[in-house]
Formats: sequence, structure tokens, C-alpha cells
Amino acid sequence: MEKFLLKNIDNPNSTDINEYISVGGYKAISKALEMKPADVIDEVKRSGLRGRGGAGFPTGMKWSFAAADPKKPKFILCNADEGEPGTFKDRPILEKNPHLLIEGMIISGYALQAEYGYIYLRGEYPRAKDILKDAIKQAHDKGYLGDNILGKGIRFHLHVHQGAGAYICGEETALIESLEGRRGQPRIKPPFPVNEGFLSKPTVVNNVETLANIPYIMEIGAEAYSKIGSPDCPGPKLYSISGHVKNPGVYELPMGTTLRDIIYAHCGGIRDNKKLKAVIPGGISTPILSPDKIDCPMDFVNMPKHGSMLGSGAVMVFDETVDLAKVCLRAMKFFEHESCGKCTPCREGVGWMRAILERICNGSGNEKDIELLTEVSKNIIGKTFCPLGDSAASVVQSFIKNFRQEFEQHISKEASKEIKAAA
Amino acid sequence: MLSEKAVVEINQIKGRYHDARSSLLPALYVVQREHGWLSPDAVEAVGDLLNVPKAAVKGVSTFYSMFRHKPMGRHLIQLCTNVACMIMGAERLVDILKSRYGLEPNSTTSDGRFSLVIMECIGACGTAPAMLVDTDFYDNLTEQGIVDILENYK
Amino acid sequence: MITVTINGKKITLEKPVTILKAAEIAGIKIPTLCHHDMLEPYGGCRLCLVEIEKMPRLQTACTQHVTDGMVVWTETEKVVEARKGVLEFLLINHPLDCPYCDKAGECNLQDLVVKYGPATGRFAEGKRTHPESYDDPIIVRNMERCILCTRCVRMCDKVQGASAISITNRSSKSFVEPFSGGRYDCEYCGNCLTVCPVGAIMSRLHKHAYRPWLIEKEVDTVCSFCGVGCSLTLQVRGNSIVRAVPKPGKGLNKGLLCNRGRFGYDYVGSTDRLDSPLIRKDGKLERATWSEAFSYIANRLKKIKETYGSNSVAGIASGRCTNEDNYVFQKFMRVVLGTNNIDSVAGFAYAPAQKFFESIFGQGVTANPMHGIANSDGIFVIGGDPTSVNPVLGLQVRAAHQKGVPVITSGYMQGLKMFSSKSLIPNPFTETALLASLLTGLMKERPFCGLNSAFEKIIRDIQPVEIKEAEEICGITSKDISYAIDTLSVMTNPSIIIGRDILQRAEGHTNLLLLAALIYLLNGRIYLLSELPNEQGLVDMGCLPDTLPGGRPVTVDIFRKRYEEFFGVEIPSRSGLSLMEMIDAAHANKIKAMYVMGEDVVSNVPNTKHIKDALSELDLLVVQDIFMTETANLADVVLPSLAWAEKEGSYTNLERRMQMLRKAVDGKGMDDWQAIAEISRMLGFDMDYKDSGDIISEIAKVSPLHKDISYKDMEDGECMWPYKGEPLRHGMSIEGIENSKFEIRNLKFEKYVRPERKKIYIGIDNPLFHAESLSRNSAALHSIAPEAYVRISKVLARELSIANGDYVTIATNSGSIELSAQIDSDLPENIVLIPNNFDGKGVFTVMNWKMNTVIKSPVMDFTEVLVRKATHVFKEATIKN
Repeated sequence: MEKFLLKNIDNPNSTDINEYISVGGYKAISKALEMKPADVIDEVKRSGLRGRGGAGFPTGMKWSFAAADPKKPKFILCNADEGEPGTFKDRPILEKNPHLLIEGMIISGYALQAEYGYIYLRGEYPRAKDILKDAIKQAHDKGYLGDNILGKGIRFHLHVHQGAGAYICGEETALIESLEGRRGQPRIKPPFPVNEGFLSKPTVVNNVETLANIPYIMEIGAEAYSKIGSPDCPGPKLYSISGHVKNPGVYELPMGTTLRDIIYAHCGGIRDNKKLKAVIPGGISTPILSPDKIDCPMDFVNMPKHGSMLGSGAVMVFDETVDLAKVCLRAMKFFEHESCGKCTPCREGVGWMRAILERICNGSGNEKDIELLTEVSKNIIGKTFCPLGDSAASVVQSFIKNFRQEFEQHISKEASKEIKAAA
Repeated sequence: MLSEKAVVEINQIKGRYHDARSSLLPALYVVQREHGWLSPDAVEAVGDLLNVPKAAVKGVSTFYSMFRHKPMGRHLIQLCTNVACMIMGAERLVDILKSRYGLEPNSTTSDGRFSLVIMECIGACGTAPAMLVDTDFYDNLTEQGIVDILENYK
Repeated sequence: MITVTINGKKITLEKPVTILKAAEIAGIKIPTLCHHDMLEPYGGCRLCLVEIEKMPRLQTACTQHVTDGMVVWTETEKVVEARKGVLEFLLINHPLDCPYCDKAGECNLQDLVVKYGPATGRFAEGKRTHPESYDDPIIVRNMERCILCTRCVRMCDKVQGASAISITNRSSKSFVEPFSGGRYDCEYCGNCLTVCPVGAIMSRLHKHAYRPWLIEKEVDTVCSFCGVGCSLTLQVRGNSIVRAVPKPGKGLNKGLLCNRGRFGYDYVGSTDRLDSPLIRKDGKLERATWSEAFSYIANRLKKIKETYGSNSVAGIASGRCTNEDNYVFQKFMRVVLGTNNIDSVAGFAYAPAQKFFESIFGQGVTANPMHGIANSDGIFVIGGDPTSVNPVLGLQVRAAHQKGVPVITSGYMQGLKMFSSKSLIPNPFTETALLASLLTGLMKERPFCGLNSAFEKIIRDIQPVEIKEAEEICGITSKDISYAIDTLSVMTNPSIIIGRDILQRAEGHTNLLLLAALIYLLNGRIYLLSELPNEQGLVDMGCLPDTLPGGRPVTVDIFRKRYEEFFGVEIPSRSGLSLMEMIDAAHANKIKAMYVMGEDVVSNVPNTKHIKDALSELDLLVVQDIFMTETANLADVVLPSLAWAEKEGSYTNLERRMQMLRKAVDGKGMDDWQAIAEISRMLGFDMDYKDSGDIISEIAKVSPLHKDISYKDMEDGECMWPYKGEPLRHGMSIEGIENSKFEIRNLKFEKYVRPERKKIYIGIDNPLFHAESLSRNSAALHSIAPEAYVRISKVLARELSIANGDYVTIATNSGSIELSAQIDSDLPENIVLIPNNFDGKGVFTVMNWKMNTVIKSPVMDFTEVLVRKATHVFKEATIKN
């Protein structure tokens, strides 16, 4: 399919505004400014665009909630905190096609009648920060940002705001807390950010990729856009594939491409002619899949039917050499490190799961530990404040369900004997 | 405690937001860039400048793993060992840093040259393993390659 | 209307509340840990998860609001399992310290685990550990026990406003700590201790001192420290106060306390308490029996009265004594000794201010509920930092500011630094000019309301001060003054909070007039700060040279005659001497005898030497007190009194609310009123009081304001002015104002006293951790602030090369003292602040004796001072407890 999101990124000058304009950039803005803001929102609604951060919420609907709220000022925040392990799909846009994002944000600001936008950029992307700042300045100098955009009297001010290493700030209310200069702990919902977000004002938080789709929708129109990809989840999707494939990387494909196609047709299959052992389809927070499940279309609707989630579309491929128990342990270490600490089950339970997995992996696990792990995970799922702890526990359950033998092979016969003796 | 340059920069940053507290993270970055780390005095000074209670500033700065609260070496190695990097050999690189430089995670070499911090995914999974040295990005690391890169950092 | 069904029980509500609240209304208790009624919902502990029909996941009852038709189940198997799971998670790192932990028996976690938790633990991974911390003098930390409910942090941030603690790090490494990681260096209000559900933070004062179930009795009383009169409960064991705790939601303080009330009560049990009457023999105070002491006093008083006349005797009453004590005292002075020479420190600022305002605005104009402050649309504070003088009232100002209410402060107020919209700090001596300029500016923006044309005429006659002029005189920018004027001008019913510092000035009476004018223009609600629990009681009971019980002027025939009729005795028709006049008269040998009840006059009024000299001239000095104060040290007879927790009686707070004190422990002294009654009997006038109840019954007959008052009225905590009585009716006319004895007409500011360049002046520091000289006897309060200090500006510190903690010599023309320096980065460079609370190092020892003859108050104007780095320092002796 013709690339839009990653158009021209192989050009070494792709971050230059003139280069961007020469390949058709900043046309969508003019189109949008000729429409009424409400009509822009309508267009996005009809396009069927769903949030690309992982939750998949219909973008047009989110915008309409914020637009309907009378409070001012309004804010549009770009969630560039790409922290989900396995995910690196936003980085090419940020580092190689920044103007696409900027254009998308300006249009969003116009539609929402929000005069202020912030790009919450993760601290781990220092290059992107400089590139974005330069690009914003270029856009400003050319009249696409500021107090009088293209002479139409529209105001939009855009700034980059760097995070400082907290995965939880990818959650929209935690992001807003962080932007307000606080600890990144998620907020109670309701109220939702679209009504009371940044500084208690109507705020829309959208993923980088979501916003990057906006100029596309403006350009080709909602009708045409909705025909790309799957019927319920239209549009192009950036999949980031890593692990044991021949050609890892970011691929712009129609939403709903199957895992099989992604791994074999696009990424050249497993490296070194090894066998596929397991796939994590949407980033570390999504349940792991066994090889028999890879014919599922990778979109928001079909993935849950196959026992996992689209998530961020970050595909992690594991071949037969991988010890999946260790992968599960490493995942739990990640979640433990990133837990904000607000709610009891995540703060205490995830660490407990990690400790049990550590014992299993270093040979001092016993046969009761897998049961214990399952029990602990059950006490976490559905009890947490936000999805972080929930995901950690679901991930553990998916590993045990699909790859129990990986843990069993670690469990020491010696330790089990000791327990039996002590009982 | 804060240099005039830092104060000017922070005051300029304040202008980007409706509320002074929103400039807290950027302000902490300004100070960390200048001093290399955030001392208790620095934390208090930032709080005074932005009118945020110092205990609150400390609560914020310690929440985020990229703020340093003890002095660091001249160069900060931020190496990722999350799943994608792990299965592509990142743990082996940790061993090399240990054997070659005597460097452990969260510590500094005795000559003050390097500090090592383990990262939780820096978005380079497709070109794993990867690291940042200060603000320089390196991916597709190999056991020899990492040493070659670090030799450039004095 | 909203109908909700909880566990099958249907209830209807008018507006949506949380499920937790709805359940409470339905009489169903849902367990919580991180929830607290004074705090916003947090949703962190997850203990209150409940099942809601049609919702797939369990929801937290504390955050979920009810909707019409909602059906909730709080005890299903799913819910019970979830609770058990949460408690298990809390216990994996929580140490099994119950046998050793002070919280056992009143621990929320313990109670919940017994009811809902797992019986055994499955966690085998090794608990996180933190050492027990004794870094702080008041709070001991066992952070292994912390369950991260964060109630302490949220209380400190949002309610107290001190923001001294925070959660640091994240995940399971989350750790609550003060900024320094060791000492809290906070306001020590103890409100964090009140809300901690476990034994993570506890008071060091009671460590291992008791078990909750061993407490013998709990006595509800009101605090003895300041004019707010917070309700607190004393827990007693073995005739000793073990703890002072608030009751959640109780009293006007609604469960909040300050460090003095919470920790300072230990003075009651101090071993330095007087326990026997003392009579001076051969220059030394020797132990005597009660009857010996009473006879001695009665005989000497009789002699002096006969020889020199009634007006050669004077009495000083106390704002720490009860209404009953003070009433009996004035009765003794007037009826038995026949003099109106009775006064107290209330006569310095509180009483004159109240009287003046009442003469213009009517009686009871200061009787405003404290909670009105947070609900007003604007606040103006002057003359004292409410967060140190009346801390729980100060919280009202902070709460208002957090809500976005504009707060303008005049004077240096550290506790409101982050809580004022504009802080005006005029140069020394120029407060009057600032007030005048605010008035001038406001008169341009607001019309008069026409209610008191006589007063309006007076206001119009006041010479205006334009903003530019004020800028030059006061050292405050025009921008700031304009901002203050603009902000004040849109307030419709602001709270005007006035402390005594603005009145104890050479121009105190002028300031009073200007404040009255501002209040008139702004339609302000007046609050008078008071650092004594019963200053209002002194006024109401007639412990003033010109006032009878009920606030009736003694000089007005009809009132005096009614009083004389009741007692069958004539009393002088002219006003008596005020406190400062008494001291001067003692100096001049006109006063021969003084009876001082509960007031450490030597320590609490400047100048120390002058007062000591005056008292030494007396033929007879009788002192009734609970400690051997500096005043008692000069006495001929000392009588030990019962302290606040050892007696029954009533206090009237600064809202003019009457509240009861209740006896918690037995003391070795005697009720002040009882001692006086004994002496009175020996002088031929029987005062038959069985208990304080008898006195209140008499007060109800003598004071028209307290007609038919009884203790029963005070029990519900809502006994507010004018009770069931008759306030004094004042005419709001020029005559009325003239009668209030202030010469306030035709004020002209001909010359403004300005501070001299390069000179430094003393301001009085009212520390949060001390109270007059009383707190010297509290080991707890001394552990927080043990050493006398002087607060100096950054500039001065740099000039003199002084670092925090260095000793400096403070010298005035009255003397010099050595103090430890504390650098205050916001203090103006020409002021140093010195407290008066430390033995031998009080600021009053180096201030002059000067009286404002209009108000009859001490002039505590900015004394000029020389500050030098100390060359030789004597380390202060530690408190002898």
C-alpha cells in the first residue's frame, strides 16, 4: 500500500519543512481551515479512526466530548511517551516526519478550538526533542503556528514537554498529572480528561500515530480513509516488529494485516531458519500467543477473539532458543519498576509475582509456585486502579496458560523434595 | 544555588504554561544538566523559584527514573535490558561493562568516567540491543561495538 | 431523587453521593483504609471494592457515585475474596509487630485483618525493611508498617497546608518522608498522626507508655493554649495525662489540632508544678499551710486597705483562668476590696479593639464563627500571623486560599507565605500610612453604605494618603498597593483578621480607627486573634478597670447600681487603673498591694526590669499560679493553683463561644476561685461556692449578657453569643464613639515616622511552638524548639558573616542578649524577629517600657537594635524536667 505516515522518511532532509511541503505537506491544514471546526470533528468521526496508543477509542467521539464542554481554555496533548516495550512505531514519525505530527496537531487544535498543544515526549528520546523543537520553530516561522495561522486569525501554540522516565505516564491521566508537574499517578475517572483534564480544563490526549493520521483523513476524505484496512478499524497501521525475525523494523500496513503476514511476508520469517516459539502481538502488556494463533488479523476487533489484544501493534517474535520463563520474569521486573505505587494490588502483588518468578528461574522454585503465581495474579486482575497491574497479571496468566512447561522445566526437584519433607 | 543562566532559562520555560508548576520537570532538567545531578539544595532552590513546596519537588523528582539524585560519572551509560534487548544479548553487554570497566548498574567507575543505569525500553527494539550515552543514541550493539563506542567517551 | 439498593436495602437520596456515603446512610459499613472524611477520595487501597449489578468489574465505593436504580452488593463471595486479597497484599511487607507496636488495639489494619483477612501468610520472599527512626523529636517512624494509604501526605498538603512530607520514589519503593529524610521540621500539628491508620508514624512522647485498652478514662475538654478553643480528649491513666487526641469531626476544630494543643499539655504533669503555698520569710519563700497563707494574705490586705485606702490595691487577672475564676476575682477586687483597679493583658489590645468596633458597629460584631473564614469571598489579615497565634484558625485562611479566595496580608507572615494573593510588608513605623493609603484608595472605589453617617463623617475627615506617597513611605510598590486596593474593593463580605501587633503601637489607636474605617467600607466580618484561651472571658467577666460583668461600663450609674444592689456593697464609680498604669503606680508607691492571678506579668510585658523594680516596691505581692514564674519569684505569698486539666469551668473563645473545661486529673493546688473565696471569707465576705457550677449560676444572675446561662447550654458546643442574654445596646452616634475614649477626630498625619536608613529594628516573633512563658514548662514543645533564637534576613547574615546557628548579640538601649541566628530568606533586611518565650532571653528584656496613653497598651514598636556576631556565648541551660 502507498505509504502516508512514513512517506519520505528515507530522505535525509525529511525533517525540513520545505521538503515536507514539497511532497504535499501542510495542504491538509488549508483544507481544514476552510471547514467549520465541528465539521472537521465530524470528518474524523466518519473516518472511523481509532486511537493508536493501544486503547482504540474512536478518536472523533473523544473529540466531540471535549468540543461539547464549554470550559476554556482547551488543550490537545500528544502522547509521545512511547514506553510500551516492543513499541518503536512513533519514533520514525517523531524523528523523521515531525511535520506530519505538527500538522495533525494544528488541525486537531482547530477542530477542538484548543489554542494550546503540548507534545509529551518521553525523556528517552533526546534526538526527537531537538528535531521536534526545530520543526516547531520552522512551522512557526512559516505561519503555521502562532497567533494568526495562515492569516486566518486562528491561534495555536505548540510546545514540547519532556517526560523523565515513567512508563505509567503513557496513561492519559498520569500524563496530565506529569504535565502539571506532579508525580505520574493516574486520576480517578470520571471526570474524564475530555471534561476535566489538564488544569481541570477539557483536554484531548491522542497518540502520535493517531494525530499523524489526521492530515491523511483531511486529504483523502473520511469515505476513502474508511475503506483502508478493516471495516471496523480502518486506516494504515504502523507495526513495530522486533525479536528473532530476519527484518525487524517499523512497517506501515493496512490495519488488520495478519500476524502471519507480518512475520513471514514482510519481515522475512524467523532468522537463522529457527522455529517460531511464541509471539507477543501488541507490546509487553498483551497476552502471549502460541504459534497456532498467528492467523489472526491484527486489529482491535479480531485480536481479543484470539486471546490477546492489538495494543500498540508492537510484535515481539521469539524463536525456539528463548527461555520464556525468563521473558516472563523480565516482563514482571519491568512492571514492578514502572508501577506508580498508588494501589495495593499492583504495588505489592506485581513485586510478589516477580519474586516468585525469580525463584523459579534460578532453580529454587517448587511445584506449588505456579499455583501460587496464578492465585496472586487472580487477586490483582480486576482490582487495580489502572490497567498497568492488570496487564502484568494477565500477562503472567497467559504465559502459564500457553507455556506452562517453560516454568515447569525450571522447577527444581530438590526444592520440591524439601517442601514435602518439611510438611 | 542556581546559576543566573538557569534562572533565566527556567523563567523562560514558565512562559509556556498557564501554571508555574507545569514547568517543574523542565526546570529539574535544566538544573540536572548544569550540575549533573539534583542535590537536596538544588531541589529546594527549584521549589523556591517555582513556589512549589520542597517536599513536593522531592516527591516529583524521585518519582521519575531519569532524574539523578547522587553525583554521576562524566558520562552516563543508559543501557536497555528489557525483553527485546534481552533476547538479542543485552545481558551479555552488562557483563562486558562489568568486566571491562568494573561498572555495575547504578554505580560509577572509580575514575569517575562512566555511570551505568539500566533502562526499561528506549524504543529501539527492532535494532536491539541499544543504549544512550548522555544524549547520544546507539543501537545494533555488539560486544566489540559497545567497547569501541565507549572508547570515544573520556 | 435517586434510589439505590445496597445489600437489598433501598434508600432514596436527593443528590448523588459515593457508594461509600450512601452505604453509611443506609447503616452499612464498607471497610476502607485510604479514605478519610476530611480528604478527597483517593481510591488507592482498593479495600472498599464492591459489586455493582451490570458492571463487570468490582468498583471502589469511595470513588464511584451512585446512579438512580443502582444495585450494590458489599458482602458477596467475590467482594469478600477481593478484600482478603487486598489485605494479604498489605501484609506481605507489613511486619508482624503487633506485640511491640503502640498502635495495637486501635489499629485499623489489625481490626480489618481480624475481620476480613487471611489467617496465614503465603509470602515467602522476604519483607522490605526500614530501620526505626528517632531522628525527629516528636514523631517516631516505623516505615515498615506504612501501607501507603497516603492519608498523612494528603492531610499535610491539602488540609494543614504545610506540605512537609511527600511520597518519594515509586512502585514498592514508594516511601513517605519529610524533606530532610530525618527531622520533620514541620508545623508539628500532629494531624498526620491522627489520620495514620497503622503504627507507621506515632508520637514519640508516648512510645511504649501505655496500651489503648489500659486507658482509664477519656475526658472531653477544650485546649488551654489559644483563643480558638479546640475540642480535645485527654486520655488518663493513673492520674496522669497519657495523650491528648482530637475526636474526628468533633468541635469547631473538627478533629484538627496544632502542636501546642496536641503535645504541649505535658506542662500539667511537670515536676516543677507548685504544690504548696509559700510565704516569704527572711527574704526566702518557705512552704506554708493553706490556712497560714490565707490568714497572712487576708491580714495584710486588710491592713493595707485600712491604711492607704481601697485604691492602693490592684489586681491582675488571667486569660488562662476560667470564666468562673475571673468572675470571682473581679468580685473580690470590687466587692471585697472596694476597687476598680483590675485589669489583664486583655486590656492591651483585645478589649480596646472589641470595644471600639462595638461602639461603631454594635455589640457582638466580633462574634463570628471561625468557619466563616474559609467561606468568605475575601480575607484581610493584619497584626499577627494567624497560623502561629491561632493555628487552627489559620487553617481556615489556607483553605480559603486553596479555594481561590483572595487573601491580602499586611505584615510579615511566614505561615501565609504560600497562601496570600498579596503580601504587603511596610517599613517599620509605616503601617499607619499603609492603612491610610488602602483606605484612601478604597474610598475612591466604594461608596459609603449610609448606615452610620456619624462615622462616615469621621472617615471623610481623615487625611488621605495617595498611593505614590505610600510607596515612598512604606517601601511597597505602587503596583502592589494598587493590587491590594483593587482586590479588596470587590469583596462583598470579607473576613478581617486582626492581631494585637497592629494595636500595640505608638499609633495603635490610629490604626484601630483606620481598621474600623476599612471594615466599614468593606462590610467586613471581624475576627480578633488571641493567644489566650479566655481573653474574651476576661472582658465578659469584667476583669477590666472600667467594665462590669456582661460588658456593662462601671461609670454608667444604672449598671453600677444594679451591681451594687446585688451584692449590697458600694463600689467606686470611676474607672480603675489599667495594667500599665498599675505598674507605674506601684513604681511610684501609689499602689501598695497587688494580687496577680495566673499571669506572669514580669515575663509577658515589656520591660522586664521596669516591672521587676515596680513589683519590688510593693508592700504585698500575692501570686496565684501553677509554676514558679518570674512574677511568683518576687511574691510575698505564692498560692499553687489547679491547672487547666485539673478543674471544671468554662472558657469563652474568640468567636465568643462558651465551652466547658472538664477535669481529667487531680492536682495539688486549689481552684483559683476557691482560694480567693477563702481569703474573701476571712475578710468578712462569704463566698459560698460548692463548685464552679454555683459560680456560673451566680454569673447568670449578675451578668445580663449571661442571663440564665448554664453548663448544659455549653455541652453541645454551640453556645454562641449572645447566649440567652441581653447584649449592651450601644448608640451608633458620635457621642457613642466619643464615650469610647479614643481621641480620634480630625486625624492628621503631619509627619510620618520613617525608619532610619541602615538601622535595624526588632519585631516580635510569635512562634508556633511556644505560648508566652507557659510553654517553657512543656518538655514536648521544648524538644521542637529548644533554644532562644533571632530570625535575621539573608542580607544581614551576609553582612555579618553569620551562618545558621551562629550566635549573635542583640543590643538595645535596654540591654543585650545572645541568641542563635536563624536565617529567614524572606525577612526584610531592616528587621530582626525575636520571640519572648525563652527563660532569660525574652525580647521583652531588651524592649522599652512605653505606653500608648489612648489605648493604655504597651507600645511594642520597633525598637532599634544593634546586631553583632557574638564573641562569647553561654550555652543555655536545658529545661529542667
